Amino acid sequence: MSQNRISYAQLLETNNLIQTCSDETYWLCVTRTVQESKLFPVPAYMMLSYLMAFYRYPSLLRKIESGMLAEEIGDRARNMGMKIQNPSIGWALPGFYLLGREWLINLGLLKPTDAIEDVIYVMDFWKRFQLSWHRNDGHITNKEFGHRAQILPESRLQVFHADMYDCRAGDELHQAAQAFMASASQYGFLISCESRISLHNSGPYKLADDRELIIRDFMDLSESDFPWLDDVAKGVPHNNITVTMAVKDCHFYLVDDWGSFESQPGFKAEQLVGVGLYTSDNLSDGYMPVGMDSREELIKTFRSLNDKIKDATTQLWKRIAGWKRDQMIDAGAITYFAIIKDLSHVAGVYDVHDWMKIDERAERFRPLLNDEFSRDALGELVGLVSHPSQQVMEYTMAQHSNKPTRMYSNIPYAVLKGEPYTVTCGPVYPGVTCLPEKKDAYNTTRGTITLAEYNRLSQETVPPVLAEKYRYLCDNWVKYHAGTPLADDMYKVDQAHSRRLKGKGSMLKRADIEKLRG
Amino acid sequence: MAKLYVDSDKFGYQAASPTVEAFHSAIKDIVRTKLAKSGSDWASFVFDKSYELVAASDMRNVEKMLLDAGHKFDWSAAISPRERPDIYKPAAGTSDADLKTFSFEHPDAKTAPADKEGRELRGIGDNVAKFPNNTVGIAHYIRSPDQVLKYLTEGVPADAIAVIDDSGGTLTAPILEHFKGVICAGGSTRSHLGILTREYGVPCLMNARISGIRNGDPVEIEVTAAAKTAEAYQKGVEMTANIWRLKRA
Repeated sequence: MSQNRISYAQLLETNNLIQTCSDETYWLCVTRTVQESKLFPVPAYMMLSYLMAFYRYPSLLRKIESGMLAEEIGDRARNMGMKIQNPSIGWALPGFYLLGREWLINLGLLKPTDAIEDVIYVMDFWKRFQLSWHRNDGHITNKEFGHRAQILPESRLQVFHADMYDCRAGDELHQAAQAFMASASQYGFLISCESRISLHNSGPYKLADDRELIIRDFMDLSESDFPWLDDVAKGVPHNNITVTMAVKDCHFYLVDDWGSFESQPGFKAEQLVGVGLYTSDNLSDGYMPVGMDSREELIKTFRSLNDKIKDATTQLWKRIAGWKRDQMIDAGAITYFAIIKDLSHVAGVYDVHDWMKIDERAERFRPLLNDEFSRDALGELVGLVSHPSQQVMEYTMAQHSNKPTRMYSNIPYAVLKGEPYTVTCGPVYPGVTCLPEKKDAYNTTRGTITLAEYNRLSQETVPPVLAEKYRYLCDNWVKYHAGTPLADDMYKVDQAHSRRLKGKGSMLKRADIEKLRG
Repeated sequence: MAKLYVDSDKFGYQAASPTVEAFHSAIKDIVRTKLAKSGSDWASFVFDKSYELVAASDMRNVEKMLLDAGHKFDWSAAISPRERPDIYKPAAGTSDADLKTFSFEHPDAKTAPADKEGRELRGIGDNVAKFPNNTVGIAHYIRSPDQVLKYLTEGVPADAIAVIDDSGGTLTAPILEHFKGVICAGGSTRSHLGILTREYGVPCLMNARISGIRNGDPVEIEVTAAAKTAEAYQKGVEMTANIWRLKRA
């Protein structure tokens, strides 16, 4: 093997990124309880998904970058509520891949020196995406920002702020919005086979001394990628729904890389004082308002969506309750593994066989995955951190636990000086599934279309706010160029669908927005 | 047999779980044997020959090894013992017949004789959200999709307080909002079930340690207690709410 393909600097950076993920994954896992379900064999599908990620992510990420670079996809991600945020890219992309690698090391089927060009590439892809997605807050993860996610530029925040409708506990809008969010959360857990990965929160943003803004995304709700949503989710009109929430007298001190929040005092429904409703995907002009022309229309829209989601929940639950265990494992493993699938949609290179199948290399391990082994192997991997590969020299005090452990093995530097290594686990191998084949129908903001059409449109579409002339105009540039024709034009793009800000340009400040709200 | 890279490990010895250790040791033996038989070096084995040589049939043999030794596996999803009752421990409390006598029996359940109002303390739990009044209802155990389907078809009984040991949000998805209350013998206030009951405004105690509550018992849950915060979990602060059994009418 050539000794010149990898540099010391590359390895130093890769190992730093691996350790960053290792520390945060431990914290996320031990501050949450074990995911359990009487319906789904959750640990079994999780363990399978990690192997799928190890074997397929490197090839699939390279395929995605043949269509669009990671940092450009990161730019797109700031402009919509699609499943390329947290926990998908921010945590799961490196996490699932590294968990698969770690498990295989403990099975004796892998060395820490194997597939190291894959490992370097996956971590580098993650870094470039994350830095781009977090461009406005200047961090690589929510963790690095003290568990905060301020992703959006001022132009978008002003529209969310201006167009939000006030509400208070007991009024019709409050009740309708709250009921919708409860149903959509529950539906999200069911779609995602008990995991929270259809749900995402970002922020907080300061609206006033006593109010903060949280952005809540509900994703993959309609007939789109998952075969198990074919037909049963046909009635859900939007695949991705974003709710903007103004919250009073409640500080969100933690928004983590799983997209969960904590507040002081604990958030209660009566603290919700404003809401807005949007949909988006990679084919839309950013966030498109839904039912936002009047308060009455918004109430009606929330109620209608709530009814449709409840209906889909019941139909989907009945479908799942009739499944065999292997079908449940397939759906869960695919949900987890394909948590990053929307990268392929944005790049316009999505293929059902890439994302909705169990790679045959991972499939070999299915007979191991009874409930007990899966529970214990997973618990040791992410909670106890007790697998042999995770034990390090006794002087070590790991972040959070103070124990001599490390969740993910780094790449030994000795590969730079003669230690044998391998570069890649190879291309995508054929896949299998016990689930029905996916129907060729994808609900997008351009209507329900075929996959070929979706890929074609994805390749052609550049959201107006990301046109080349605006792409590098950040908030710091606006600070010194507000009121110029270029800055005004850029703000007007985000304001194009705004009820209150259409055509207002770039000179408004937060207090002006508050006045406009009346 | 060939020697594996992980066979020389200064700090790692074995997995903590006996089941995991048994499985992993058996798989490593398979890899050693197949690597030696292949006559290949590691580089041509790891991402090429091993894909065919280490097969699903080997993994089935690993599970069989433990079963042949008399081991029965714990189950968590109801579907698992239903499909393969031969490999799992018996699934109690999942049928109507079982539920006539079934009860959760937590070793640390806090109990006390009936107070002057006739309420017998049968356990404690972590309150998800504070309500102005305690919730009183009838205990109904829910441990399988069949029970959920029955309620989905026939309707959830009036005043039902679901007694569940699944802190997830999917088992009871289509009927959760119809419960008067929930007692969950697992998870925390941050579990999926905790999140959902808070969103729906359904009174709920998580991490419940209870004893002696049977199907059909009238119960009262102390949801007037303070909600247990994330900070309380992190600092190990005890913040509990009581669960009482009331006299049957």
